[in-house]
Amino acid sequence: MTERGTSHAISVTVNGERVSRVVSARQLLVHFLRDTLGLTGTHIGCDTGNCGACTVVVDGKLVKSCMLLAPQADGGTVETVESLAADGQLSDLQRAFNEHHALQCGYCTPGMLMSATYLLRQNPDPSADDVRRAIRGNVCRCTGYVNIVEAIRSAGSAGKATLATGSAEEV
Amino acid sequence: MLLEQVEYVRPTSLEEALAVLTEVDGAAPLAGGQSLVNVLKNRVASVDLLVDISRLSELRSITRSPDGGLDVGACVTYDELDRSPEVREVHFTLGDVAAHIEDQQIRNKGTIGGNCCLSDPTNNLPPILAALDAVMSLRSASASRRVPAAEFFKGYFATALEPGELLVSVTVPPMPARSGAGYASLHVAADAKAMARAAAWVQLDAGEQTIAATRVVLARMASVPVRDAGVEARLAGAEAGEAAVRDACAVAAEGLRPIDDVHGSSDYRREMAKVMARRAVMQAIDQARGGGDGAERTRRGGRG
Amino acid sequence: MTITSSPATDRATRAWSGRSIPRKEDARLVKGQGSFVDDGGLQGQGYAWFVRSPHAHARILSIDCAPALAMEGVYALLTGEEARRQCETPFFAIAPPPGSLMGEWPLAVGKVRYQGDAVAVVLADSRETARDAAERVVVEYEPLPAVVDTVAAADPATPLLYEEAGTNVVWQGVFDYGDVDWALENADHVVKIERLHFHRFTSAPLECNGAVVDYDLGTGVVNVMSNYQMPMFAAMVIGPTIGVPINKFNFVSKDIGGAFGIKIGFFAQIAALALLSKKAGRAVKWTEYRTEHMLTAGHGNERTFLDIEVPVMSDGTILGVKVRAFDDAGGYLHYEPLGAVIWSQVVPGCYKLKHVRVDYTEVVTNKCPTVPNRGYSRMQHLWMIERIIDVVAKELRLDPVEVRKTNYVQPEDYPYRTPNDCVYDSGDLPRSLDIALELAHAEKWRARQRELGTGSGRRIGIGIGSTLDSGTNNFGQSRIINPALPFSGNGEAAIVKLDLFGEVNVNIGTTPQGQGHETTAAQVTADILGVSPDMVTVSTGFNQANNSYVGFSGTYASQFAVSGLGAVMGAAEKLRRQIVKLAMYALQAPEEDIEVSDGFARVRGDESRAIPFIGLANMVYANNAGLPAELLSEVDLNARHVYVPPFQVPDPVTKTGNLTLTYASQVHVCVVEVDEDTGEVSLLEYAAVDDCGKRINPMIVEGQVHGATGLGIAAALYESLDYDESGQLQQPSFYEYHAATALDIPHLDCGSIESPSPFTPNGAKGMGEGGGAPLHAVCSAIQDAVGAGGPVVADSHNHWARVYELLHRDPAASRGVEVSSRKGSPSVATN
Repeated sequence: MTERGTSHAISVTVNGERVSRVVSARQLLVHFLRDTLGLTGTHIGCDTGNCGACTVVVDGKLVKSCMLLAPQADGGTVETVESLAADGQLSDLQRAFNEHHALQCGYCTPGMLMSATYLLRQNPDPSADDVRRAIRGNVCRCTGYVNIVEAIRSAGSAGKATLATGSAEEV
Repeated sequence: MLLEQVEYVRPTSLEEALAVLTEVDGAAPLAGGQSLVNVLKNRVASVDLLVDISRLSELRSITRSPDGGLDVGACVTYDELDRSPEVREVHFTLGDVAAHIEDQQIRNKGTIGGNCCLSDPTNNLPPILAALDAVMSLRSASASRRVPAAEFFKGYFATALEPGELLVSVTVPPMPARSGAGYASLHVAADAKAMARAAAWVQLDAGEQTIAATRVVLARMASVPVRDAGVEARLAGAEAGEAAVRDACAVAAEGLRPIDDVHGSSDYRREMAKVMARRAVMQAIDQARGGGDGAERTRRGGRG
Repeated sequence: MTITSSPATDRATRAWSGRSIPRKEDARLVKGQGSFVDDGGLQGQGYAWFVRSPHAHARILSIDCAPALAMEGVYALLTGEEARRQCETPFFAIAPPPGSLMGEWPLAVGKVRYQGDAVAVVLADSRETARDAAERVVVEYEPLPAVVDTVAAADPATPLLYEEAGTNVVWQGVFDYGDVDWALENADHVVKIERLHFHRFTSAPLECNGAVVDYDLGTGVVNVMSNYQMPMFAAMVIGPTIGVPINKFNFVSKDIGGAFGIKIGFFAQIAALALLSKKAGRAVKWTEYRTEHMLTAGHGNERTFLDIEVPVMSDGTILGVKVRAFDDAGGYLHYEPLGAVIWSQVVPGCYKLKHVRVDYTEVVTNKCPTVPNRGYSRMQHLWMIERIIDVVAKELRLDPVEVRKTNYVQPEDYPYRTPNDCVYDSGDLPRSLDIALELAHAEKWRARQRELGTGSGRRIGIGIGSTLDSGTNNFGQSRIINPALPFSGNGEAAIVKLDLFGEVNVNIGTTPQGQGHETTAAQVTADILGVSPDMVTVSTGFNQANNSYVGFSGTYASQFAVSGLGAVMGAAEKLRRQIVKLAMYALQAPEEDIEVSDGFARVRGDESRAIPFIGLANMVYANNAGLPAELLSEVDLNARHVYVPPFQVPDPVTKTGNLTLTYASQVHVCVVEVDEDTGEVSLLEYAAVDDCGKRINPMIVEGQVHGATGLGIAAALYESLDYDESGQLQQPSFYEYHAATALDIPHLDCGSIESPSPFTPNGAKGMGEGGGAPLHAVCSAIQDAVGAGGPVVADSHNHWARVYELLHRDPAASRGVEVSSRKGSPSVATN
């Protein structure tokens, strides 16, 4: 059993790097990432776990980092938006967001990208409906989701194939 | 967003968890946290010690019971229910209900135990578990007992759990021959909160023409899911078809007084209970006849 | 129509403008490297948390700060009374009396006027401690009756929010154009609609408000790093109150996570934070979270239309409208009552209505203050007009498409002068409608609707929404509210500079929140300076220290394409002229031989004679000895331009004048399926056709159409803010306020036409707000599904229970509409 208390020493592998910190039991994972580690790419858009701006992958599972306490991540791995552009190069998905104008203010984008990354890991060839279900937990107020759906599909394998022939229209 | 000061502990065995829950006043189990963390963020309830049970392997498995039913550990997530071949084989509808709870992130963390123990009347799983006649296994440091789902939910945010007691698993009996389940919700938006909801289990007679037995459970009509005896009585022996079912469900929610709110009046909700009951029963009949595995509904991804 | 051509226009249409180039700002945003307000902070800062009222209306009897101040980690606490003592005057009031007597201070004084009204603010060493301490501030309240009904608020018998004003009516005025009484007497039919109600909602930007405010006690400069979207407006409103002159503010913004007008509302918080910083002697950081945002950041205007009378001729020509409008400003006047005149930019909607009388009353109620919200004030009125069109068509058994086409301002009518002297610049509404109908496969669905008939449990509805997106305000319209206001016209500033190594740098006074200003500003600059947009750096956000601002700088009111880019183009042209002048000297060539391209100034036809931008920059900045004094006096490579739209001061007496420069239009067509058993509405098709003149970046324009459509559909079906009778908000977080998801918004099919504006430097029109078109179209489709003889769709928000009621209303009950016909007019089938 871990020591019972209001603060905890935790070790977490964040974007491949192991970090050890003492955190308050009441600190949310999102505040740990943003305020303690300075990884400000993960955003906060609500306070009820509804908007998904804080979406990250913890131990391989897509989660909202405002719905987890920092000590709950102890011993685990966390992937945030900062992990997507390996060596500074945009991933196919990030490039697709740019090319399809799938972001406007960019505030939901990090969470959206994490949900899309998670989807494409499980389903490299999602339908428009698969994409819409996969991003159900990520609220965007700027785009009406249209271009986000197209961008994610185009980053999928079928999307890449249809891109070659010209259209990734939602059907 | 910002929680009150709280203590946290992560036991490494169920025994440790039960001991700490018994010993500490103000201790609360933390499983998926998809409701509890919200409660803490909004500071609407005070907890002194969070006992993190989410990693306890004793609570994380789905197994086939000897009778062909399912034993589902309390910390099994909605996503695991959705993707479990065992769940889909035995109780397709249960998996389907789980698949339409909010969103992927919540389904990856939220647990069947949490969904039941919060006893929020908007929660998706209690009515289907009640319709499937599930049994809740409770344990404390010193004892264990089993409570039928229908008796587990006591009121708004209240269950049969005693202090120090933990829900450890949910047992869902097998689906008898010629029976099926159905589930219908009127959501305020796709996969969002429901205003009215019904879950049904139906068994047909040998000729599959009439209804032999039913359980029809309404949710959002009271603080807890309720069996609708009036509808069940009218369905018993009735023809398993749209007209008879419509007729029977016309008395749904009689005597109940659902809430009025911005999404609709109490009267509207009662009307909707009739519609949802009819749809759930028709789905159940369909499934009892070997169709309606819910797959189509999943594909549509819409409002169950 | 002819467009006056200028060298700027020619260059601007040549290479980069008009192309859908991917956005420059995306690279940082997709990597999580955006710079949003909560991402930053200052050394030694404290964290602020507001103490807010649980009551909608109450007297503050006492505030006990001692328990909070005794907590470890608490730096300072400021109450409303204490803040008031430091202030010279309430915030600047737009309204004349009695509205001007409804004064507001940085924090509530004496009374609270809505649930969430701030009574004090705490500063502590962490976010958590600040909230803990705020909960220990003990406020004793004496609750008062809450005023929540907009129309009843105007009744003299209703309790008052501001005793000192003697009324809840902020402003009342009659807008009377043409002769509506004559029209009502002479029309073949008069359609009377009892009541229409435009609901309260918010575009709810995903990033909540936030600010880091540092009152520098040494210099007296108040540094405000925030996501506030109209910085100089805030400075003008709060400066006199807290005793800070404009040049002692330093407003800065970087990336902003959406705003939609809502982020004009939080100037009061900035004032309170400035005073708190001054008191504590340290920087304060305030991060608003969603519940606080929903309760207090500002909502869109709720408007009730009563006793609507519409004179119609038998051929479907609508002569005008007479209506009483009641608008609800909430508990304080944040930007209001400007909304009481802003709507009159679109008096006749898309139609040639000649006789219009609107008796407009704006009131205060015990609800969250209203603030501009995408489509601000015009969409409420446009929604009413569109409801009228559909109801007239339904009641007179006319085709809603034909009624629209009959009454639309026609392509040959532009520039079209409205009854209140606004000038619609250009457009082709009938063609827009045709394209939208085709995109939505309206004919196919009309056939399917007939096929389905009744009794299937499902109904199809086809709806149309025609709307205007008026852009670039003439602030002179504020004088129609208050003739004493010293405002008119508008403007925007930009600086285009060739920097030390020859880099092209652009600073603008705008506060982009996703509109892609860095990209479109780079496009127009690139065309003028002969470089690629990659070579143009546009500063992110607003920085007062750049000096690229005027009084109404900011990003709001659909105006960037005209005023923002107008300023950039003007500055780039000035810089280009300087570059040419410098090159003439450096290359010893006449002006007509100099060409500027690819980062060089060259002598046309002589490859050996060219000088790169870095060389030109070096001549001016670092190697200028010996340059002719005359040249140096004309060339500093730092060109500032202020674009000023051509406006006159409107006439406050007749309430006429040109209130806005451009009118983009949108026509939407949607197809819904309604479940008769439940009232659920599903969108089967959705098409939107946009016409905003010349598009600088069509992809960005289309993105704006998508976004405005998404929010409009969300408001029509999912998002509403409702108060109970005690003034408690029923949707105080995203748990209750269902922000529409990807499963709620359908795929959108977009079309476009380009009717260039003759009034703008680049033929573009401002766009982006979208005019609330989806609210019009969705209500129209539901009306169509309800069918002839059914009740009027009288609310802009139609959740399932409301639709169910429309489908199942007792036939003996009122349908909300009556038609009276003149003797001898062709009869109308009565229901």
